[in-house]
Amino acid sequence: MAATDVNPTALSLQADLRRKRFLKMGLIWAIVLFFVAWCLQGTIIEDTDWARVGGRSGVLGSIGRYLTLDWGLLPELLIPTLETFMMACVGTVVGCFFSLPVAWLGAANVTPSKMILYPLGRFLMVLSRSVHEIVWALIFVSAVGLGALPGILAIAMRSVGFISKITAEAIENIDAKPVEAIRAVGGNQFQVMYYGILPQIYPVVLATVIFEWDINIRRSAVMGLVGAGGLGLLFFRQMNSFNYGGVSMVILAILLLIVLGEVISHYLRKAVI
Amino acid sequence: MTEQMPAPRPSDPPKWSRYQYPESLIKHGTLLAVLLFLGYSLHFLNVDIGLLIGALGRFAGVISERYYPPDLEYVLDRGYLEAILDTLQMSFLGGFAGVCLAIPLAWFSAWNVTPSRRLFFPIGRLGVISCRAIHETIWTILFVSVLGFGMLAGVSALTMFCIGFAGKLFSDEIEAIDMGPAEAMRAVGANPFQVFLFAVVPQVRVAFTGIAIYTWDVAFRAATVVGFFGGGGMGWYLKRNVQQLENLRVAAIILSIIAMVLVAEFLSGWLRATVNRAK
Repeated sequence: MAATDVNPTALSLQADLRRKRFLKMGLIWAIVLFFVAWCLQGTIIEDTDWARVGGRSGVLGSIGRYLTLDWGLLPELLIPTLETFMMACVGTVVGCFFSLPVAWLGAANVTPSKMILYPLGRFLMVLSRSVHEIVWALIFVSAVGLGALPGILAIAMRSVGFISKITAEAIENIDAKPVEAIRAVGGNQFQVMYYGILPQIYPVVLATVIFEWDINIRRSAVMGLVGAGGLGLLFFRQMNSFNYGGVSMVILAILLLIVLGEVISHYLRKAVI
Repeated sequence: MTEQMPAPRPSDPPKWSRYQYPESLIKHGTLLAVLLFLGYSLHFLNVDIGLLIGALGRFAGVISERYYPPDLEYVLDRGYLEAILDTLQMSFLGGFAGVCLAIPLAWFSAWNVTPSRRLFFPIGRLGVISCRAIHETIWTILFVSVLGFGMLAGVSALTMFCIGFAGKLFSDEIEAIDMGPAEAMRAVGANPFQVFLFAVVPQVRVAFTGIAIYTWDVAFRAATVVGFFGGGGMGWYLKRNVQQLENLRVAAIILSIIAMVLVAEFLSGWLRATVNRAK
């Protein structure tokens, strides 16, 4: 009898709780949907030039222009594809070099000074991630001129944030005993880093770098849009000469390159971990 | 006793064999090949290594010379503030639509609960991968050429970007669930949709909310440059001033982008913490 007996006040409390939660979820959804409606009104209904869109036939016609592939572009695709790939590789390596000191500054347990340099390291990480790669590329194009170099630097700067953040977290989570041992026998800062920390964070950092390299292929494919060479430049030229079949070819080349990068990074990650 | 076989030693973990003959050759050979490839890349791309090393010094010089006192009055102008609001609206709308479309695609492309491994799994995977593979700026250019300049193109491009971004995270999350409830529902004859709704969704609800908020954060970052290629918002001001070589205004706009991204990041971090606490 006692097992099946349920306290009526507990039941009503539970129902009360459920109703409260239901109301709360409803309120959240109402707010979200209100925001969606407001944004739809502001951005799409008021801002769109529907005459330019031209109804269903206009849109389908615009899409149809992309479907006739321009196979004549095939021989011209090889070198930009290679350039894009190389830009991603070099950019990732340069980014690793930049992110080492940043991670060193921004890891709470090894930073040389907690008051000044630690916030600086954290700030650099956030700065690198919050500026979009196109903006970085714009800055570097104006600093070092056109060509592959601004693309490499932009990719490197954009990679610093993620790589150094993960590295700093890995450094913060290391086993402190080897570090202490090296300090105890009189190792200097560099020796502590090289013999105490590096072997412990090596797999995590390498996996992160491979992940970032995969993303950087995507990024380097658009660097040409702002003057930094590679497939983006070819894309930009084809678009400006209204050769829509050529645009589709460039996109196919980008897709192929990215699938290749994904396959390589899959096997590399398997080999590392 | 003496002729008793010694206990079989556990095979050495691969870590210890790493520096023995064949592996060490492979390791150092790979390193050498990578270095050679990087050197050849620098040569192929016509990069002046001296310039690369001196670039950071030049960078500081260029910043202090051309960009230094940022024209802050320009970004406090009414038109620009409205553009910031537009960017926010675009990112919210793109994130919302992207997340809504990403949920079914993630369901299709999760190997453990997909409705059909032959038909829906490849469709879902292909959809997510192709949305992810193409950069958001390229999506913007394509949509601008189809739909015309304006925020409709920007929102569409952000939607595609968010499908790719959220779809991958969602399907990873679904693949990591506890399969017990799903098996139980299957055993009593539930169809795949019922399994998804009553066995999968309750397990991933909180994680999905967090991912959706994070998606908005990332979409906002992308939305700041969508306008650069004709999608409306802050990026359009950036493009205009870059082309007119109004460097001080460009500096102010970049500063405003950084400030807004920081605000968005803080907001999304706070919201995610709240969701995690309320679960």
